[in-house]
Amino acid sequence: MALHRGYLNRAALASPGAAVRFALSSAGYLLLVLGAGVMLIPIFWMVSTSLKPLNEIFSLPVQWWPAEPRWENYANAWNRFPFGRYFTNSIIVSLAVTIINVLLSGFAGFALAKYRFFGKNVLFIAILATLMLPIEVLMVPTFLIVKELNWLNTYQGLIIPAAADAFGVFLMRQTIIHVPDSLLEAARIDGASEVRIYFQIVLPLLWPAVLTLALFVWRETWDAFVWPLLITSQDALRTVPIGLQRFSEENVTNHNEVMAMSFVAMLPLAILFFIFQRAFIQGIAGTGIKE
Amino acid sequence: MSSVIVRPDAAPELPPRARPLPRVLFRPVARHHLWGYVFLAPMLLLLLTFKLVPMVQAFRLSLTSYDLLTPPRFVGFDNYIGLMSDTRFIKSVGVTLYYTFGTCVPIWFISLGLALIFNMALPGRNYLRLAYFLPTIVPIVVFGMIWKFLFHPYGLLNVGIESVGLPPVDWLTSSAAVIPGFILSSEWRFAPYFMVVYLAGLQNIPQELKEAASIDGANARQRFWYIVLPLLRPTILLVVVVSVIMASKAFTNVLVISGGGPNGASTVIGLYIYQQAFQFFKMGVASAASMLLLLGIMLLTLFQMWIFRDAQPE
Repeated sequence: MALHRGYLNRAALASPGAAVRFALSSAGYLLLVLGAGVMLIPIFWMVSTSLKPLNEIFSLPVQWWPAEPRWENYANAWNRFPFGRYFTNSIIVSLAVTIINVLLSGFAGFALAKYRFFGKNVLFIAILATLMLPIEVLMVPTFLIVKELNWLNTYQGLIIPAAADAFGVFLMRQTIIHVPDSLLEAARIDGASEVRIYFQIVLPLLWPAVLTLALFVWRETWDAFVWPLLITSQDALRTVPIGLQRFSEENVTNHNEVMAMSFVAMLPLAILFFIFQRAFIQGIAGTGIKE
Repeated sequence: MSSVIVRPDAAPELPPRARPLPRVLFRPVARHHLWGYVFLAPMLLLLLTFKLVPMVQAFRLSLTSYDLLTPPRFVGFDNYIGLMSDTRFIKSVGVTLYYTFGTCVPIWFISLGLALIFNMALPGRNYLRLAYFLPTIVPIVVFGMIWKFLFHPYGLLNVGIESVGLPPVDWLTSSAAVIPGFILSSEWRFAPYFMVVYLAGLQNIPQELKEAASIDGANARQRFWYIVLPLLRPTILLVVVVSVIMASKAFTNVLVISGGGPNGASTVIGLYIYQQAFQFFKMGVASAASMLLLLGIMLLTLFQMWIFRDAQPE
């Protein structure tokens, strides 16, 4: 896969001449820096607003940073709706979806890469085809199925349908296919069971792909809005995005509190992103295949 | 012992059916097949239950009238015919096309331009790229909250507009301004995303090719037009197809920011389907509209692949 080979942090590839010329065209460079500032303004504005008293939010001239940061906005917002519950739910659901999807995608990828069985190619194509189905097509029938299973307002209703995603199968198959067959056969001669071969031989070779996939699934699940909105109607099961939306539904106009919780909701992704930048970006570059 | 390690392709043919099945199952080849199914089964079961069955169900529902309370009633293609004369649906198709191409066409150029710049050795390149990339990791609902706040009548966007002497814009209450607002916000979030895809493509272009061209006397512009661009065609195809698919089915941003208003001016097809299903409980109509959306996305994709037919990705 072309996309997975390119590491973004690789040393600069351009010839020094071009770089020097560009750096020298300082107007262009200045524009690039200004552009970076523009990109950051919305995020900066969110943080700055989250610390303002209400009367400074729309004050003119623009107050870029509050005179006195009001940290209590965070406490007030956190307690306005049960955000402790929402975060716990989001973490439970995201963790469960990530673990289930990575585990089962690995198994399925292993089967498709290293076993021969009747109907394999047809199954692989069918699995890939599910990636094309937009949520608009799936949400009504999936909602009905989940309702039929009595899974509305349950964790399994939030977790299991979300774990059914084929992107990981594709990613794992593409990775496992490069594991040499001789390794597996050597293990078979030594009498290792197939399950042990997967966990002790294949999986240790996969961890960069596993990390990429885990971050990708975590991000998608933490982001999920429509599905949790459809199947939860109780605070006990609501996730963070649904909690944020409640500010709008209940017409809370304390923008400082909305921005405070928005910022907190972003942190679990932002922190992971700063730790695993490379794997994270690869997952995003790989989304191209998912669509 | 040796029979255990026989690879399936080297294995002898299975004996004829005369043998009792259980013994066949313990043969290495059959066991190998069986393990393939065992490893595949759990994920396959999930995909079957939550992707393939719903897909078929969506089509079946689209031929019924169903409000969740009374059992579904078969109505043939009435839902489809009804959609063709439903002005709100037709309007949503127009809104979707406007939003999709309004968002995607600028994205194709902005993201390519950014990727070309960040593929060069610049002072502080990593920090700058990080700044450009950050919007991509903002969760979609947080993105909605931020932009809803920016679109506020006294919000930062209007402050900026007024500071250069222009009249303020009613971003969320004027039907002429609402889609341009969504386009602007989508550029912010998605241009960096496709920049990453382009960067991956650019870094797959062998450096030797560009160097060889330089030695032969090609200048930067010629290298771009004759080396980089042709080799980038698979990536361009990917970006064009994926961005159009992504934008044409996006509706979470609309649901969070404007709810489809004012007066349906930002109701994209996805939101129309959502509203039909979960606000008016017309499951059949929603399913029919979702089938049309799927068909539209597939046709658009095929059309794009046809345009780029000699640049298929590997």
